[in-house]
Amino acid sequence: MSSEDSNPAATPTPGVDTQGDGRWMSLHNHFVSNSKDKEPDVLFVGDSLVQLLYQFEVWRDLFSPLHALNFGVGGDATQHVLWRLSNGELGHISPKVVVLWVGTNNHGHTAEQICGGIMAIVQLIKDKLPKAYTLVLGVLPRGKMPNPLRERNAQVNKLVQEAVSSLPHASLLNVDPGFVHSDGSISHQDLYDYLHLTPQGYQAVCQPLHAHLKGLLEKQAEN
Amino acid sequence: MSGDEMNPAAVAQAVEDIQGDDRWMSQHTRFVQECKDAEPEVLFIGDSMVQLMQQYEIWRELFSPLHALNFGIGGDTTCNVLWRLQNGELDNIGPKVTVVWVGTNNHEHSAEQVAGGILAIAQLLTSRLPKTKVVVLGLLARGEWPNPLREKNVAVNSFLRSWLPRLGHTQFLDVGAGFVHSDETISTRDMFDFLHLTAAGYRAIAKPLIDLLLQILEGTPEEKRASLV
Repeated sequence: MSSEDSNPAATPTPGVDTQGDGRWMSLHNHFVSNSKDKEPDVLFVGDSLVQLLYQFEVWRDLFSPLHALNFGVGGDATQHVLWRLSNGELGHISPKVVVLWVGTNNHGHTAEQICGGIMAIVQLIKDKLPKAYTLVLGVLPRGKMPNPLRERNAQVNKLVQEAVSSLPHASLLNVDPGFVHSDGSISHQDLYDYLHLTPQGYQAVCQPLHAHLKGLLEKQAEN
Repeated sequence: MSGDEMNPAAVAQAVEDIQGDDRWMSQHTRFVQECKDAEPEVLFIGDSMVQLMQQYEIWRELFSPLHALNFGIGGDTTCNVLWRLQNGELDNIGPKVTVVWVGTNNHEHSAEQVAGGILAIAQLLTSRLPKTKVVVLGLLARGEWPNPLREKNVAVNSFLRSWLPRLGHTQFLDVGAGFVHSDETISTRDMFDFLHLTAAGYRAIAKPLIDLLLQILEGTPEEKRASLV
């Protein structure tokens, strides 16, 4: 197992402002102050796949009613999410479920390292929110045709599934409804740039996610 | 005005597949194919500001009915757009209006160079599509607080305002009014990450844009008379 020191994907790292407008830190600060005002039952955290979800009708239809907050930041890899959650975004809130969707932007990292990064986040959430359940969403396939990133993402999911199988407070949910067609292609109707979801793509992902979340919240209520 | 040879922002350049899933080329190839099948009256070309618009309801409500095609690719610079236009994305189509929105990702270039790159795109469009009217959208402010990129984008717009009228069939449209509040901040209600527009943000820019597009599509009196012959 990778220790924090030797796994860059599991070493908390803030986003670097390469462009010059400080947007990453602005978003982080917003989330920290949101966590002071709001009382979410569900917290979504991750990369652009989480962030963009908030922009479409599906969020208002399915997740607002569950009192959900969205802490997605486009471009984030596991080490960035780890940093954000370690630096205030979990302060003052006690969601029953944390939905974690991250890993596709970990370029240069191996599947093992990415899994290590995801598991470090799962551990951090357990430390800070002992009563919360963490639902890790499987990383989706990407690219129009088969490519090494699809293999990497599938391997990440397999490794995470194994790692969470022994944990009572976390599980992996595969939310890929079958985006890859029989000829190996992905359609732009589902992933408009072969990475990000269209509203149609989100519907296909979110219906089962929503059902699963409701089940989890009901179980948490019983405890 | 910057000469093309000396302006790196006016040099056509494809995006390299660094990540390993070749998505940029896949999107370009799809657009070239769309040119074979479609007969758009309006063509939108640019970066993620263009691309994301198609994912919101507003596209279906206001722009699809105009027979619009969307050739936006997230992350694109003026160089990337130039390359795409020179490599098939203008083949077999004759849109009446081409909307250009690009420049905010040109991080390696000065404001003057970026404006020169946008000018080169407008020049390419008017030479390849003699019937088209080009509408260049101004770059929006970005970042939660004042920062050098806001100043740069303002400077780009300023160059465009003075250069574009010298080109025939081309006009500049500033759709950025109202995004920067009196306290100099931008709200996540308009730009969810202080760069990309929300549904509300797009609704705000769509009004002046659709007004201009309808004006152009409905034609000048001269064109209306000519079409009656």
